[in-house]
Amino acid sequence: MSLKNAARIARRELRGGLGGFRIFLACLALGVAAIAAVGSVRQSIETGLEREGAVILGGDAEIELTYRFASERERAWMDNAASAVSEVVDFRSMAVVGQERGLTQVKGVDAAYPLYGTVQLDPAMPLSDALAGRDGLAGAVMDGVLVDRLLIEPGDRLRIGAQEFVLMARLIREPDAAGGGFGLGPRTIVATDALAGSGLLEPGTLYETEYRLRFGDGIDLGAMEAAAGAALPAAGMRWRDRRNGAPGVSEFVERLGAFLVLVGLAGLAVGGIGVSAAVRAYLDEKTAVIATLKTLGAETRTIFLAYAIQIAVLTGLGIAIGLVLGALVPLALAPLIKAQLPLPAVFAIHPGPLAEAALYGALAAAIFTLWPLARAEQVRPAALFRDGALAQFRWPRWPYLVITALLLVVLVGSAALLSGLERLTLWSAAGLFAAFLVLLVMAFATRKLAARAARARLLRGRSTLRMALGSVGGPGSEAGSVVLSLGLGLTVLAAVGQIDSNLRSAIARDLPDIAPSYFVVDIQNDQLAEFLTRARDDAQVSRVETAPMLRGVITQINGQPARAVAGDHWVLQGDRGITYSASPPSGARVTDGTWWPPDYSGAPQVSFAAEEAQEMGLKLGDDITINVLGRDITATITSFRDVDFSTAGIGFVLSMNPGALQGAPHTHIATIYADQAAEARLLRDLGAAFPNITLIGVRDAIERVAGMLAGIAAAVTYGALATLLTGLIVLIGAAAAGERARTYEAAILKTLGATRGTILLNFALRAAMFGLAAGLVAVAAGGVAGWAVTHFVMDSSFEFEPVSAIAIVTGGVATTLLAGLGFAWRPLAARPAQVLRASE
Amino acid sequence: MTDPVISLNDVRLSLDGNAGRVDILRGITLDVARGETLGLVGPSGSGKSSLLMLMGGLERATGGRVSVLGHDLTAMGEDALARFRRHHMGVVFQSFHLIATMTALENVATPLELAGVGDAFQRAEAELAAMGLADRAGHYPAQLSGGEQQRVALARAAVSHPDILLADEPTGNLDGTTGQSIMDLLFGLRDRYGSTLVLVTHAPDLAARCDRVVHLVDGALAAADARDAAE
Repeated sequence: MSLKNAARIARRELRGGLGGFRIFLACLALGVAAIAAVGSVRQSIETGLEREGAVILGGDAEIELTYRFASERERAWMDNAASAVSEVVDFRSMAVVGQERGLTQVKGVDAAYPLYGTVQLDPAMPLSDALAGRDGLAGAVMDGVLVDRLLIEPGDRLRIGAQEFVLMARLIREPDAAGGGFGLGPRTIVATDALAGSGLLEPGTLYETEYRLRFGDGIDLGAMEAAAGAALPAAGMRWRDRRNGAPGVSEFVERLGAFLVLVGLAGLAVGGIGVSAAVRAYLDEKTAVIATLKTLGAETRTIFLAYAIQIAVLTGLGIAIGLVLGALVPLALAPLIKAQLPLPAVFAIHPGPLAEAALYGALAAAIFTLWPLARAEQVRPAALFRDGALAQFRWPRWPYLVITALLLVVLVGSAALLSGLERLTLWSAAGLFAAFLVLLVMAFATRKLAARAARARLLRGRSTLRMALGSVGGPGSEAGSVVLSLGLGLTVLAAVGQIDSNLRSAIARDLPDIAPSYFVVDIQNDQLAEFLTRARDDAQVSRVETAPMLRGVITQINGQPARAVAGDHWVLQGDRGITYSASPPSGARVTDGTWWPPDYSGAPQVSFAAEEAQEMGLKLGDDITINVLGRDITATITSFRDVDFSTAGIGFVLSMNPGALQGAPHTHIATIYADQAAEARLLRDLGAAFPNITLIGVRDAIERVAGMLAGIAAAVTYGALATLLTGLIVLIGAAAAGERARTYEAAILKTLGATRGTILLNFALRAAMFGLAAGLVAVAAGGVAGWAVTHFVMDSSFEFEPVSAIAIVTGGVATTLLAGLGFAWRPLAARPAQVLRASE
Repeated sequence: MTDPVISLNDVRLSLDGNAGRVDILRGITLDVARGETLGLVGPSGSGKSSLLMLMGGLERATGGRVSVLGHDLTAMGEDALARFRRHHMGVVFQSFHLIATMTALENVATPLELAGVGDAFQRAEAELAAMGLADRAGHYPAQLSGGEQQRVALARAAVSHPDILLADEPTGNLDGTTGQSIMDLLFGLRDRYGSTLVLVTHAPDLAARCDRVVHLVDGALAAADARDAAE
């Protein structure tokens, strides 16, 4: 019965319109829209990757081998199993035109390439025609970036290794580009047959072969994968198929998307403060109505339900607006996003992310409205005879607190489950909760301090400042909602600022001081001595380090599959560089165990990087099996050593005794430390002397990585700005809600003799105090978050960055000033008589 | 009457309402002498409070001239009016109109602070003590009873020893006994500081305590009062 009555009361109350709920709806809609939009874009990309899986991969399935081609037996199996097979070889090299040289990621293809999709060239021509070349020279097509860097155009000649090519066209679109992962140089495509004389595919050089397979319709890819594993055992092969054509890319998109959803949740928390404030203000206005209903015999339960129904209806409306925006904005921006995205994306209305956003919106609304709703039952009929019956703080009854806590657990749990980033979600939620508490304490402290300062004898006579302090510290102060909403938004922005600046300074400032100029790969055994002589004799080269290198995959630990023992550790993901050495490398510190004697020739031994070994749970005496060139080598761990990967120098997780690897075909790598001014000359000299070797400019590589990280930082900053925008809406809501009170206050002050300038200064001062408090907390909380991420996630030293911190505090003050003064016009313009008469 | 403190000459006030333009005051001419106590009486809606607001510069006349202490209020800007009030006027309202975010003491000290008076708080404390509220100085308005709030409002109006005290139904929200004590305090203030007092009231006994009473009917002085004013 009470539900029926409550629904009736709710319907009548809602007839009054939604005028007082604009901020409520805006906060909720914006929070839900941000999450829905991020989720929709993520889903669009994931759907695109899934639908275009075969094109991205270059086939229905792919078998990848590390620096070797398939054996006759392996190729026969592939030809038998698939309706078509395409062989692709992929490696880094230098494209040379006269004195100009550029690092390039070369793809050697056969006539069957591409099995799916088309290669687009400029000028337009079939790839087969382009690779056929002209005038007896094999053809090449090249990414426009490298074409421009080398100052060539179609028809010009270029050299890769020892082989000469003619550039036939610019490469506009490579259908399987996204499946290849992160390349250090722009792409060049040539025919594999034409590489025979290049000297780049010698035994031991670093290249990968990819065999793309096309199957008929209805193929069971899982069964085929199992069949390949059985037919081609211990071949060091890796299988991928169209079910997840670009696992690296899709994982990256999924994680970045999930992280942005977490940032969106922070926005929803900020919006929640606005929602809570709106419900509180609404119920304050309804005090007399509630008291009257109680006087007329309405039970507490009926009253609670009546207002809960109203809030539920409004929540539904806010979520619906948010979902429409979140679904339509990505659709509207689809052409723009597609143009920027190197990945296929299928923009459509995806129900999954919308449902997720709706769930978060509903839970957040419930969490933030339950407490103020509980106040409805605290109204006593006596409120009709006394003012301010709701003004006093009272805790809600315990069931409301328990339900609120449970809803919070459900929200965090859902976010953890749906994002797949459990640890990050929990830490973010804990951080957000801590920031929330700190801001609450700060808001309380601001009020108390202001109230105390307002009474200080020192301020007597400074009426404007004292009045501002009095209103910040007095009853009805806006400190809570303003400091909380703006503070949370600024905290997210401050944390992003600190992390971003620390990341940039780590890359830009620290690394180049210690990093080498060039990383050199593919130095053949017979070239090593001459290479070292040439490099070391150069006056501008300060240091050259070299090490033999092979690549291999750790397949087993103590006879068990490696992943079953050590999980998904990065050392087990793909193949790793392996070196051998009779003595510990200079500068290396053996932390446990002993290095083999220089003349050791017994069973294979391995020295493992100490930190990674600890993460993988390895101990001295463990046996690890490594597949090198299709051959399994089992070695015993006899020592651990410190390896510093942060200097970009030579660092191997695995180092074995020479006898274990010396016989296998291998090349050498080197690092060259030289003056920056000499780098271009070195590239030319060494490149000309050793056409087959590849010099990777560390500075260029760092710039590429830094560019990618800057893109991620930009995405996160946009997320943080959305949070700040929500905070701004809450702030505007608070300023708008307080306008009537300020108009009344201004009227009294004018009556007492205050000029408009005095009143304006009073308003400005109190706004600045709120902004300052929010900004200071944001900088402190953002700094702690920045330290935590820099220290624990990036494993780097943290340095507080003052510029962004000052910008945050200034921004906080400016924002509150703008919001506060934006709503000062009416109070200043109002005539005292009319205002005071209206409140008689 | 020589040297009137307040001089109204054909004062008109029209306001725009939802139902169109409403004439609130229609050609009021009236002088108030220094030290005089003037009662403004009349039925609700007759324009008493509006007339009081015009005298205080809280409302701007749409016609005629309002002169107070020789200053033409109709020619003054809003800030000039505010500065004029802080030095010469004290206003008391029916609904007290204390600033909710300030304590009683701060409310009382504010006009003195705005006027740049150095010992604002000492004087405010003394004024509150004179009202019997020394122990309530640190309380916020919401923590005071209606009578106490009106005593704070009286202290705030009187603390700058104004030439003119304007009171708009100061007992309208109070019970009889409390209202009586408030009126005693108000007239006591007038006596203590020699202020001119203009009082809007519905209560005949309060009007009877005034030196002179004028009646407003429908925005104009009643015929007899209009004749007196003209003489």
